[in-house]
Amino acid sequence: MSLLQISEPNFESPVSTHRLAVGIDLGTTNSLVATGCGGRVEILPDLDGEYLLPSVVQYRKGSPPVVGEKAKAAAVADPENTVISVKRLLGKSATEIKNSDTVGRYRLDSSRDEKAPALLTANGSRDPVQVSADILKALIARAEDFLKGKLEGAVITVPAYFNDAQRQQTRDAARLAGLKVLRLLNEPPAAAVAYGLDSKDQGNVVVFDLGGGTFDVSLLSLKKGIFQVLATGGDTALGGDDFDNVLAEWLSLQVFGGKKLDLGEQSKLLHYANQIKHQLSDLESVELSYADWSGRLSHVQFSTLCEDLINRTIKTCRRVLRDASKSVGDIDNIVMVGGATRMPAIRAAVTQYFGKPPLTHIDPDRAVAIGAGVQAEILIGNKAANNFLLLDVNPLSLGIETMGELVEKIIPRNTTIPVARAQEFTTFKDGQTAMKLHVVQGERELVSDCRSLAHFELRGIPPMVAGAAKVRVTFQVDADGLLSVIAEECSTGQTAEIQVKPSYGLDADSIEQMLKLSHEHAHEDMELRALKEAQLEASQLMEAIDAAIEVDGGLLTKEEARVISSAITELKQALDKESSGRIHEQTEKLNKVSSEFAARRMDLHIGKGLRGESIDAVDQSNK
Amino acid sequence: MQKISQNFFDLFGIPESFTVDLELIGEKYRDLQAKFHPDRFAHADEQEKLAAVQQSSYLNEAFDTLVSPIKRAAYILTLHNLDIEHVDQSELGMDLLMEQMQLREALDGLSKDESAMMELSKLKTEVTGKLQQKQQSFSLDIDKGKLSMAKKRFYEMQFLTKLLKEIEINEEQRLGY
Repeated sequence: MSLLQISEPNFESPVSTHRLAVGIDLGTTNSLVATGCGGRVEILPDLDGEYLLPSVVQYRKGSPPVVGEKAKAAAVADPENTVISVKRLLGKSATEIKNSDTVGRYRLDSSRDEKAPALLTANGSRDPVQVSADILKALIARAEDFLKGKLEGAVITVPAYFNDAQRQQTRDAARLAGLKVLRLLNEPPAAAVAYGLDSKDQGNVVVFDLGGGTFDVSLLSLKKGIFQVLATGGDTALGGDDFDNVLAEWLSLQVFGGKKLDLGEQSKLLHYANQIKHQLSDLESVELSYADWSGRLSHVQFSTLCEDLINRTIKTCRRVLRDASKSVGDIDNIVMVGGATRMPAIRAAVTQYFGKPPLTHIDPDRAVAIGAGVQAEILIGNKAANNFLLLDVNPLSLGIETMGELVEKIIPRNTTIPVARAQEFTTFKDGQTAMKLHVVQGERELVSDCRSLAHFELRGIPPMVAGAAKVRVTFQVDADGLLSVIAEECSTGQTAEIQVKPSYGLDADSIEQMLKLSHEHAHEDMELRALKEAQLEASQLMEAIDAAIEVDGGLLTKEEARVISSAITELKQALDKESSGRIHEQTEKLNKVSSEFAARRMDLHIGKGLRGESIDAVDQSNK
Repeated sequence: MQKISQNFFDLFGIPESFTVDLELIGEKYRDLQAKFHPDRFAHADEQEKLAAVQQSSYLNEAFDTLVSPIKRAAYILTLHNLDIEHVDQSELGMDLLMEQMQLREALDGLSKDESAMMELSKLKTEVTGKLQQKQQSFSLDIDKGKLSMAKKRFYEMQFLTKLLKEIEINEEQRLGY
C-alpha cells in the first residue's frame, strides 16, 4: 500500500495567521484582482472605485509605463506606443503575430528573433511577457495598497485552451512582476467555482467563456465537492474583439466606402463600434452617427453580421459534448463568463442549443477572478479545503516526432492532469549513439502542423544495430498543465531531461538561446530525416515489388511488366541524386503503376485464403 | 520517495476482475485524489510537491486504465505476464481477418457526405454490440483462466475498438468538426 504511506497534508498552520493571497484574472481586454475578506471573496477596486483594469499599457520615453484606463484613453491618440490585447501575443512567434494582425496594430522589433518577438515603443522594445508583467504589477500594487501588506502568492487564470508556450509566458510574466504563482488555473473551472456550483452535490456544468480575445468551453462534472473537467475546447483566436472588428468593418464600408484607413481612424472607428455593441446589449436598435454619416443598426442586423462568429461558438460546444460523450440533456447548468456573453445574440444561441437558459447572475466579467480568489484562499491555507478539489485536463495533445515527420501522441488531449506517460523508441541506424527528440503540441498528424515545444538530444547510446537500443521517453505534465520530458536509454541508464517548464531554474534569456539554437538545428535535421525516410520507403517498395514479381510475375502482361521495370529504373536514378522530393515523386509513380498488380495479387490470395491455403500471403500483398 | 508500483486493482481496493463497478472506482478515485492531489501540497516543500505530482499522476493512470474496457483488458493480460505488444498472425485466425475486412469495406463504401450519417449510426450500433459480446467472452475466459483464449478476445476487442474510433472520426468529418 505504498501510496497510502505518505504523510497527511499539513493543516498545522493555524487559520488565525491570515496570509495574503489573491486571484488574478489576467484578461485580454480587462484584468481583475480578487481576495478573501471576512469569509467572502471580493474584487478589489482601484482608488477611483473601478474594478476592471483595462489590459492596456502605454510606454512613453523615459517614464514608467501607464497601465489601465489612462492608457486605454491614450490608445486613440497614441496607438503606436500603446499595447492592447497583449494576451493574444503570448507564446506567439513574430510570423504568427503578423499573420493575425490584419489591421497592422503591432510594430515588431525587426532585430528580435523570430521566436522571441517584441514590440517597438517610445520607451524601447517590450516583449509580451514584459507588457503582461506591467499589467500584473499594477494589480499587485492595487492589492497591496488595499490589503496593507505584501502578497505571498497568487492564482492566475488562463484560458483552458492556452498551450504550453502561452502558460509558460504567463508564469514568466508573474515572475518578472515578483509574484509567486500558487497555481495557473483554467478560467472555466474558476467561473464554476465562483457560482458556488461546487457546493451542490453533483451534476454536469458547461462553462461558456467568451472573453475579449479568447473563447473556451469546458464540461465539468461535479461529484461530492470534486470538480473533474471532462473535456475542454475552444478557440484562442475568437473573442468579443472580433465582434467589434466585424462591426467596425461594416461601419467602415458604410462611412468610407471601404477606403483604406490610417491607424488613428481605425482606432476611432473600433472604439465607436465597441460602444455600439454595448448599447445593442440593452436596446433593440441604435442610431448611428460617425463623421458626417448617419444611420441605424438593429440588434437583428448585428446578429446577422456576426452569424459566423456565433456559429463558431456553438460548434465548439458540440465538439466538447461529443468529446465527453455527453448529450445536451445531460447538462444541468450552463455558466456564462466573459463580457462578450452579455450579447443577447450569444445568450439566445446558447439557450437554443442547450434547451435551457444559462446562469448569468454573476457579472460575467468578474466570475473568473472570484473563482481564482477562492482557489487562492484554499491554496495559501486560509480556507479549509474541505473536500473541494479541481481535477483539470490537458487541452492539447502532446507528442514526439517520429520518422517521416509524423507525430506520435504520448498524452492525448483531455487527459486528466497531473499525468506521466512513457513510450519506447528505438534507433534508426546501425551504430547510432545519439537521438534527437522533438517535442510537439497539437492535434495534427504532421509535425509541421503542430506547435514545436522543444528539441533536445540524448547522447551516449551504446552502438548497436538499428532498432536494438531502447529509449524510454517520459512526459510529465504537472497540475498547472506544464510539461517536462525525460529520455532514458534503457540498457545504460543514460538520461537527458528537458523541463519545457522554464520556472525551474532557466531564465528567459537562456530559454530564448536554447530555442534559437534548436531552431537552427531543426532545419538541417528535418531535411536529413525527409531524405532518409524517402530512401527507406523507396527501397522497401522496390524490394516488395521484386519479391512479388518473382512469385506472381505471371499476372502481368509484357507491357505492364515493362512499365513497372522502367519506373524502378527511374526510382534508382532518383536515389542517386539524394533529393527527398524526387525520390518521393518516383516512389509515388512506382506505387501507382504497380497498384493494379497489387490488387490482382490480393484478389488471388484472398481466394486462396478462403480455401484455407495461406493467410500470410494476404498479409504480404496488403502491405 | 516511495516507489509507485502498486497494482491498480489493489490501489482502488477492488478485486482483480474484468467486471468492475465503475461507480465504486470513481468514488475511490476521488477519495484518493482528495488526499494526494498537488493542490493539497501547495505550501509543502519541493520534495513533497514532486511526490504529490507523481502520486497523483499514478492515480490518474490507474483510473484511466480501469475505466476503459480495452485498457483494463490489456492491463489484466500484462498482470498475467502475457506479451500483448507483439501479435503473432496465427493467433488471430481467419474469422477475425474476414470480419475485419467486411466491416472496413462497409465503412469505406459509405458516401463522404452527411447522407451517410444513418448508415454510420447503424454500423456503430452493430460494432458496439459485437464489442460487448467480446467483452463478455473475455471476462468469462479470464475468470476461467483460459488465458490464450482471452488474449485472442483481446485482439478482437482491440480491432473493434479501433474501428469504433474510426466510425466516430467519420461521423465527425461529416458533421464538419
